[in-house]
Amino acid sequence: MRIVVAEACVPFVRDGAELHVQSLVTQLRLRGHDAETVTLPFNGRKDELLDQACAWRMLNISTSNARPIDAVVATRFPTWFARHPRKIVWLIHQHRAAYELFGTPYSDFSDSEPDTRLRQRIAALDSRMFSECERILTNSRNTAKRVQHFNGVSARPLYHPPPLAGRLREGAYGDYVLVVARLEPLKRIDLVIRAMAHVSSPVRLVIVGDGSQRMELERGAAALDLGHRVTFTGSLWGEPVADLYSGALGVVYAPFDEDYGYVTLESFLAGKPMITTADAGGPLEFVRDGINGFVCEPAPASLAAAIDRLGADPALAERLGGAGRELAQTITWDGVIEQLLG
Amino acid sequence: MTPLRILILEAQVPFVHGGAEILVRELASALEARGHHAQIVSVPFIDAPKDEIFAGAEAWRLLDVTCAGGRSIDLVIATKFPTYFARHPRKVLWLVHQHRAAYELAGTRFSDFSHTPRDVALRRRLIATDTRVLRECVGHFTIARTVSDRMLKYNGIASEALYNPPKLAGRLHGGPYGDYVLTVTRLEHVKRVDLAIDAFQKTTAALRLLIAGDGSIRHELAEYIERRGLTDRVMLLGRVDDDRLVELYAGCRAVLFAPYQEDYGYVTLEAFLSRKPVITARDSGGTLEFVSDGVNGYVCDPTPDALAAAVDRLGADAALAASLAERGHGVAANITWDNVVERLTEAGSRTQRVRAAQPCG
Repeated sequence: MRIVVAEACVPFVRDGAELHVQSLVTQLRLRGHDAETVTLPFNGRKDELLDQACAWRMLNISTSNARPIDAVVATRFPTWFARHPRKIVWLIHQHRAAYELFGTPYSDFSDSEPDTRLRQRIAALDSRMFSECERILTNSRNTAKRVQHFNGVSARPLYHPPPLAGRLREGAYGDYVLVVARLEPLKRIDLVIRAMAHVSSPVRLVIVGDGSQRMELERGAAALDLGHRVTFTGSLWGEPVADLYSGALGVVYAPFDEDYGYVTLESFLAGKPMITTADAGGPLEFVRDGINGFVCEPAPASLAAAIDRLGADPALAERLGGAGRELAQTITWDGVIEQLLG
Repeated sequence: MTPLRILILEAQVPFVHGGAEILVRELASALEARGHHAQIVSVPFIDAPKDEIFAGAEAWRLLDVTCAGGRSIDLVIATKFPTYFARHPRKVLWLVHQHRAAYELAGTRFSDFSHTPRDVALRRRLIATDTRVLRECVGHFTIARTVSDRMLKYNGIASEALYNPPKLAGRLHGGPYGDYVLTVTRLEHVKRVDLAIDAFQKTTAALRLLIAGDGSIRHELAEYIERRGLTDRVMLLGRVDDDRLVELYAGCRAVLFAPYQEDYGYVTLEAFLSRKPVITARDSGGTLEFVSDGVNGYVCDPTPDALAAAVDRLGADAALAASLAERGHGVAANITWDNVVERLTEAGSRTQRVRAAQPCG
């Protein structure tokens, strides 16, 4: 089949969704499909949102160079506005600021009348577009619940292996816990750093990633006198990240209401337990407290206690991580593509 | 120089990959290599049915390319129709082509525009809209003089042909003026390889013709050579890799390239960068933008006799080949990515001082 995977991307910014789309295209090609991405630039500014949706609507991608395109896989707002007789949504996320983030500090929508109207308009248009689609799958249960709640659309989660899947391997249970995340407020890295101030075992924290909060977080660690126990590696991709997973004692991931998060599955595939929080969203679809990791309260002391348990007992880390790996290995690209194309 | 944040605007035809795509990627690398931050923005362009053409243009109009990730974009470079429909105060055009089916191809078998009132009206509207939007650009460049001529004729907009060096530019070098003439081309009828072969039936100099490249008429040409009893003087090498090509250029006496109405043609520049003269024909199009008869090569009538005479002159006189080639090298050496990058970025900063990336909403 000739398949277009539709994506919206902020120029000069790389993120997890982009990797997701690239992986899908690669995996479709490996299975003999002719797959290609269509990527339009995206700008999250409120007054540009409807124009951008309209730009996608302008595109009739049912043919290219006089040959039909068999299907379009839409991924995030506003890619499902494209015109095609066979649209499949594999939802990464909607425009979150207009949905579940509204009312939190992470949204730029206020309760003013224009903002409220815009939110309602986006939700109504999204719903209409979804009704054109052949089926709606989501990257996680969390995302499926949201789209059911806000758009009244029934959707089911379709999990996929993380980009690093092929490279991850089990290694020693070393003297550090790992964070892999963009350094943005929603990822709550500050919470993990503050937890380190309560950790009594000699466990270090290694933070992989970069972002707008880098300086602030480094200052925060220094202010807590944690400079020698918290390391920022900056952005890393591929093998060096796999190496860090492989040597970690465990992985900590405490975002606020994350959609999916590759980190959980990556952690499990490297045989590492995951420490997360009760409000982390996506990770909770996989992490079971005391079975393959720990689900803590979103408070420094609670995270610190979990880190200390692993610090005191690497054999526990190995046992929990092993249970996680069994779970993560059931998620395969063969399964994904079969369900996606139906 | 202030590093600029630049978007290169590209029209994507899903599942089709061609020369313009390579050009855009080379431009992005050239900009990055000179310290700028460059990214490519591609929007699919669907030209059928014809009603969708304006919708594709409208999509560019609706997208915001002035801002990315909270920081302003300093400059956008538009390439093909309809990328120049994007809105940006510093939009520079480096035109690859307009929607050719509505321009010079209309009325030929290469166009889906016919002489119905509806199609004629659509063409007129398209050209008029193009003209209006092209005028918004703060700098007008094209990839070749033929493209500039076309824009002047149809849109009344003057522009400068801004050539880019061929991909092998950094690797090509001179060498001995050997015993063969080189042709580098896809083997298609429009490239008129048969004309070059015929010329070698007339040459008296002890030179061979080596033809590098492959194409749909390779088999036909092989038979043609055999029928003319030229198998010991004309050789089809097929597709050769870059290393081999560089060496073939370096060791030849001259390059012969006499296609019919080529748009641009990197072969001429590759020959000059390898310090070889170029033999071409009066009706070869793009090659004539660089080759001057008797100065850096020969511009012949498109006949075997005329081409053979030029080959024989160079066959008899390697020193002549070297002196022509020296002047050709001067022409090609002026065509650099430095120049392309400088002209495009300069044009973008002319209207308004470009400062370090500004925060934007």
